[in-house]
Amino acid sequence: MPRLGRGRRQLGSPLWKASVEHEVDAEFEFHVEMRTREYIARGMDPESARAAAVARFGDIGRVNAECRGIGNQREREMVTTEYLAELAHDVRFAVRQLIKTPAFTLVAVFTLALGVGATTAIFSAVESVVLRPFPYRDAGELVFTFTHWTFGNGGVSVGDYAEWQRRSRSFAQLGAFEFKGVTIATDGSPDRVTAAYATANVFPMYGVKPELGRVFTADEDQPGRDGIVVLSDGFWRRNFASSPAIVGRAMTVNGRPVTVVGVMPATFDPTDSHEDLWAPIAFTPKQLAFHDEHYLTVVGRLEPGVAIGSAQREMDVVAKQLAAEFPETNKVSGISIKGYAETVIGDYRARLFVLLGAVLCVLLIACGNVANLLLARGAARSKELAIRTAIGAGRGRIVRQLLTESLVLALAATVVGLGLAWLGIHILIGAAPASIPRLTGTRLDAVVVLFALALAVFSAVVFGLMPALRAARGDLQSALRGGGRSAAASARDRVRAALVISEVSIALTLLVGAGLLIRSAIFLNHVNPGFDARGLLSTRVALRAPSDSATSGTDAEQTFTRLVNELRGRPGVEGVAATSAAPLGSGGGSNGLVPEGKEQSIANAIDSRLRMVTPGYISMMRIPILRGRDINERDRRGSLRVMVVSEALAKAAWPNQDPIGKRISCCEGGPEDPRWKTVIGVAADVHTGGPTQEIRPEFYIPMAQAPDDAWRWINRTMTLVVRAKSGDATSLTPTVRAAVRSIDPTLPVYSIATMSDRLSQSLAESRFHLELLVVLGGVGLLLAAAGIYSVIAYFVTLRRNEIGVRMALGATTMDVVRLMTWQGLRPVFWGALLGVITSVWATRLLRGSLYGVTANDPATFVVVTLMLIIVSLAAILVPARRVASVDPTTALHS
Amino acid sequence: MAATETKDRLHGTLDALVLKTLSWGPRHGYAIARWLEDTTRNAIQVEEGSLYPALYRMERKGWIEAEWGMSELGRKAKFYKLTQRGRQQLKAESAEWAEFARAVSTVLAPSS
Repeated sequence: MPRLGRGRRQLGSPLWKASVEHEVDAEFEFHVEMRTREYIARGMDPESARAAAVARFGDIGRVNAECRGIGNQREREMVTTEYLAELAHDVRFAVRQLIKTPAFTLVAVFTLALGVGATTAIFSAVESVVLRPFPYRDAGELVFTFTHWTFGNGGVSVGDYAEWQRRSRSFAQLGAFEFKGVTIATDGSPDRVTAAYATANVFPMYGVKPELGRVFTADEDQPGRDGIVVLSDGFWRRNFASSPAIVGRAMTVNGRPVTVVGVMPATFDPTDSHEDLWAPIAFTPKQLAFHDEHYLTVVGRLEPGVAIGSAQREMDVVAKQLAAEFPETNKVSGISIKGYAETVIGDYRARLFVLLGAVLCVLLIACGNVANLLLARGAARSKELAIRTAIGAGRGRIVRQLLTESLVLALAATVVGLGLAWLGIHILIGAAPASIPRLTGTRLDAVVVLFALALAVFSAVVFGLMPALRAARGDLQSALRGGGRSAAASARDRVRAALVISEVSIALTLLVGAGLLIRSAIFLNHVNPGFDARGLLSTRVALRAPSDSATSGTDAEQTFTRLVNELRGRPGVEGVAATSAAPLGSGGGSNGLVPEGKEQSIANAIDSRLRMVTPGYISMMRIPILRGRDINERDRRGSLRVMVVSEALAKAAWPNQDPIGKRISCCEGGPEDPRWKTVIGVAADVHTGGPTQEIRPEFYIPMAQAPDDAWRWINRTMTLVVRAKSGDATSLTPTVRAAVRSIDPTLPVYSIATMSDRLSQSLAESRFHLELLVVLGGVGLLLAAAGIYSVIAYFVTLRRNEIGVRMALGATTMDVVRLMTWQGLRPVFWGALLGVITSVWATRLLRGSLYGVTANDPATFVVVTLMLIIVSLAAILVPARRVASVDPTTALHS
Repeated sequence: MAATETKDRLHGTLDALVLKTLSWGPRHGYAIARWLEDTTRNAIQVEEGSLYPALYRMERKGWIEAEWGMSELGRKAKFYKLTQRGRQQLKAESAEWAEFARAVSTVLAPSS
């Protein structure tokens, strides 16, 4: 690099400046002198002549400064003009050179385009998901506020929300959402959509105006006046074909008539929950004083200038106050504030940056290959360059010209790469699971194009600088005499070896990452979900809001019992049951359970997921019963209150004891629902959230014994699970629909899918991550192999004579092949070693995506290293064998 | 507006005078000044404070070129030379200003 430095100093030229100033001084001095002579000639004495001459000149300092200014400006312009002219010349020359060698140009452009395209595609996803600002006013002030438990952050009770709002000073606004599946009817068949019941202040809090009509006001956020809805843009498009006449239209939500008052723009998705409509949450005074039941999502806007940390400190104080005032509900919970972007984007940020790093690795390998091509080209062109040096081109000038060539190459690759990126983005969005937030916003926008251009410059320097410096350094004499066979060949060998080492180490790192994800995927696919998914179909069925609250529980219970019985009789059905929440589906909530014998305090509560089930559910799901029995027909209203606990709950509540017959308190309790439930069975644990999720305690209670409150908790919605006799779950879809219709044609059936599909869906994200890294690892391996191949092929061609001499002196073909192989493998070994070291560090970044395998899994490292060495060996043997079979006399003569 | 125009005209006039002077051959700054003074019999006294900036401006515009050479007295001096573009400029300005001011016309009229 010292060479380039010198070149730049000449261009930047402090010398020029001195020369302009010097010139002006000298010129003015000459003028004054001439004038003085003139005056002396007219008869003045020298001293007064000089004085008169100076006086005549006027303000010499000002004029001097003005002239210097103009002169310097001119110099700068000249440098720029010259530079631009040279650049234009270099570009024209580069294009001619590249056209002259189309094979080289095509290979180099395609290799680079692959790297640039892939990197740009991943970057565009990063831009959309992570970097792009949220479309809300001062989004940096928005925060999520959670109730904090020992097991993590969770929803907020209405009473807590009201108290937070009353007591905190850190928030300009604090808004709440409750998400609910609702049945809507516009005209025709019922439909199930997601509604967000929200406080009126959320719209001004986000600073988003409706695209049509208006939002609701605080006045309308009151019980009795809340019969209005605001629609999402998507819902409006799907259900009302974007009709502008929507404002003022009537529809029903859960059987209740409401009026549409507005439509929000498509960009408004306040908690990334993709809800279809918003309605006033309209808390009742009773709700506002109730500190149990944590179902609200709370988003706040901090006062300007208030940091999350100081808001958190204030809320810690509030949490302490609430714990003292409402010990029954608030004793063990805290408050946790999390940044808005952090919460919505979550660990996708880390994952995407890992992918970006991986794809940059591929780009680096591609650059390595192109650098290698350029080295070979530089060697072939050493004569041309030597001649140019001989006729006066400085080294800096030659480096610049060669770098321009690299830049032209990189820009051409970027144009092709942007095309590939466009394609890649479409494939990416199509293949990605819908759960990744904001991914669908991925596109080739100005930022992405700028990034691609920056990549072009970056890669041009990475692959072009070193070959350019090397070519420019080429020894003039030997280049002219030897006609390309330069004396610097051994130094070149070292550079090439360094290229192989870097490419191998980068490829190894990529492959170790991919290998670890493959092992995770194998592990996840073998995780026993805890139930038998074969032939299982599940669907959600929601009941209408009760007409008479007194009998609402019994009504619901009867409807679901009839549904189950109806389905049981249908052909093809092997078994059927209903549950408030099936594995891998929505629904459900959790309760804090306290085993008998411990103080009945929230501090001793074990947070467990509630499953209200019909008799035989556990056996039907083929969840092993470890002890005791399943819930059956005799566990009804009025008989002993029973419960089946999951293994995890049993272990947490009664470690090392037999839980059968033990009692545990659950739920509110009340005259018709005694607090104490008797454990009659222990069921094996189920991976409710899918194989990647942790197992949490769960409990099953008979639907027939569920308290009326529980129907409200589960929003009067149950999951029907049906097992097909044939094993083909999909075939039961019409059967289920028909059965529900026969009981009540207005009941919406939704979210219908087979359990195997749901299982595979639950792994979609990790599979997607895996596929991307495997593709990148594979491309990296191929590129690295191509790089090794071309380096060895070049060595072999370069050393034809040496090989010829060796063979003439009696070396066998095997000896030569062995020699070449050994020399080729040496940098591969070093690269592998370096790669292993890098991987040990780099795979830590993957930790969050690994299951059942450690980040430094020795088996993966060994297998990947072996694979890489075998592929490298193949890449070495092909060219090595070819030349070893050459006739020594021909080699010597060439 | 009017003031700017006048100033431009004055600038332009000086430029035209200098270009015309140089059309007889390369001269250094002092020689240009003297030649103008002598030719107009001191009717036009070129101020150094205007002359030199004008020279530098025109050099920047590419109308004239400067080169260091030996003056008649054996001193190093900066000589200005009319370029092709300067010649065109002179032609254009002469034509344009021929009708603008008689005084300018007087100076520009061939007098050798």
